[in-house]
Amino acid sequence: MRHWMNRARTLLLGDMEGMGVIALLLLYLLLVDVALMYLNPFLYMLSTMFKTTADLLDPTVKWIPTSMEWANLKLAWDGLQFPKALKSSLTISLASAGGQIVVCSLAGYSFARLKFPGRNLLFGLLVFSFLIPPQTLIIPLYVLYRKLDLLGSPMAIITPALLGHGLRGALFVIIFRQFFSTLPKELEDAALIDGAGPFRVYWKVMVPLAKPAVLVVFLFSFVWHWNETFITGLVLNGSDLPLSVSLSHLDKVLRGMYGGDGTEPSFDLNETIRMAASFLIIMPPLIVYLIAQRWFVEGVERTGLVE
Amino acid sequence: MIGTSNRKRVRLSVESQQAISGYLFLLPWLVGLAVFVFYPLGYSLYMSFHKIRFTGTGMKFEWKGFENYTYAFLSDNTFVAALLSILKNSVLVIPIIVVFSLFVAVLLNLKFKGRMAFRGIFFLPVIFSTGQVLTEIFNQKAGSLDLLNNYDVAGFLAANLPKLWADPILAVLNMFVVILWYSGVQILLYLAGLQTISTNVYEASMIDGATPWEIFWKITLPALTPFILLNVIYTIVDMFTLPLLNPVLSMITANMTNPNLGYGYSAAQGWIYFVMVFLILLLVLAAARKTVYNGAER
Repeated sequence: MRHWMNRARTLLLGDMEGMGVIALLLLYLLLVDVALMYLNPFLYMLSTMFKTTADLLDPTVKWIPTSMEWANLKLAWDGLQFPKALKSSLTISLASAGGQIVVCSLAGYSFARLKFPGRNLLFGLLVFSFLIPPQTLIIPLYVLYRKLDLLGSPMAIITPALLGHGLRGALFVIIFRQFFSTLPKELEDAALIDGAGPFRVYWKVMVPLAKPAVLVVFLFSFVWHWNETFITGLVLNGSDLPLSVSLSHLDKVLRGMYGGDGTEPSFDLNETIRMAASFLIIMPPLIVYLIAQRWFVEGVERTGLVE
Repeated sequence: MIGTSNRKRVRLSVESQQAISGYLFLLPWLVGLAVFVFYPLGYSLYMSFHKIRFTGTGMKFEWKGFENYTYAFLSDNTFVAALLSILKNSVLVIPIIVVFSLFVAVLLNLKFKGRMAFRGIFFLPVIFSTGQVLTEIFNQKAGSLDLLNNYDVAGFLAANLPKLWADPILAVLNMFVVILWYSGVQILLYLAGLQTISTNVYEASMIDGATPWEIFWKITLPALTPFILLNVIYTIVDMFTLPLLNPVLSMITANMTNPNLGYGYSAAQGWIYFVMVFLILLLVLAAARKTVYNGAER
């Protein structure tokens, strides 16, 4: 009897080895709950984009539309000028992410592994540059881009990234520095004794080991550049709009089609189209994430992001 | 004799070689720092003391001293109100994010089936947590909790709290899910932090008879204090540059084209904003210094 009681207790409440059933159930309940809260806006988007106007106005239709309305997607596709905007978004995001990976990893390696006078001071400047809000820099940059004749060209976004700045460049240098400083010192010493120069050591020994850090930085940089609207909206005012900016452009077109006077209508009939457009915009980074997700989740633990 | 002097020279050259390559590795980044950070920073400071007019030949600067700054505080009542509303929102939002992401990270660090799938979901916000799409979803009220409408929380808050706090609290509740979506990076940082605590410590304290509750407060939390500080700083930087909660962003771009105020005034607003954020960060660092240092001594 007692033995049976003990076993039941272990099963329900857990012991030193692991969690019991009750704890596990509670954990799953909590996680599922929070996960649903997270996914709610996403599910809302998925359900709304397939609704007809009748479904949208019908309060009894909450999650599942009575019929699948594919016309919304078509309208959003045309309204966003999807193929053109996608190309522009891909150019900006891929070029910027690539540039930031190369330059930030070089800088991070230098800060982590090479000794030179003024290293601490420069690292202080790096942290300082991370803290400056983009609001403070945006006006002079706007003037600078105009002088360099970069306004309206995607190069206005890409150039700073190619020099290791741009969106959160400082953060990426810090991530690479942390990663490189966790690697054992012997790796380099062995290569240096063999007569390899610092650049060879970086390229042949360090970069192959840095895959998790590269993946984390690539994903962050790609997605952040993809979604950026503040600077992008300001410097790219015209053709070649990327997806993130063309959503607000679509908004104006839709408002011209219906409403017209610029006032907010009491009930938004374009919601279905806008949700379809939102879906089209986040689809590409979502696909990238789904592919990279497994390595990403593991990579984060190994980057030793901070020590 | 010759041998030692030879060796010395070789060693010296190795050191200076390392220094040279150190600078070479940094070179592109340093060029960027000069062109895209320090030049605009100095230029915007210079602009903020001027009135800037556009003529056919280019920009014309007219020295105004601190006029732009005094205008911001004394005449422009929308600017001060915007600063205050951001401050109030941040006081509410930052603790929520820092605590919530800690909570989720601790859960995700437990060993159970399917945790990789859950991690995938909880990092998902990293994909969406910026930009227009989020604003779009937020505008459609999909970012608020059903609970709020079901129990008339708005009415309750308005009746029981002074308006000064009821409004920001309600604003925060209305975008609660969106706020949670901004904790992606923070969860990552905490998870990375949790990996630094060795399993030996846990095993030893379990053998000594400590409960999971005690272990969390006595071991996990103290070991995480540096990461908590890091997350507080990251969240502050993130929140103050986030367009969603932030009227100052649009104010600065709107004032650029304002014929009476122009670039000079926008630049001054940018600087006031920067100084404010910087002071808050210094305050946090000063306050955290003691607690974090003591807790982190491992």
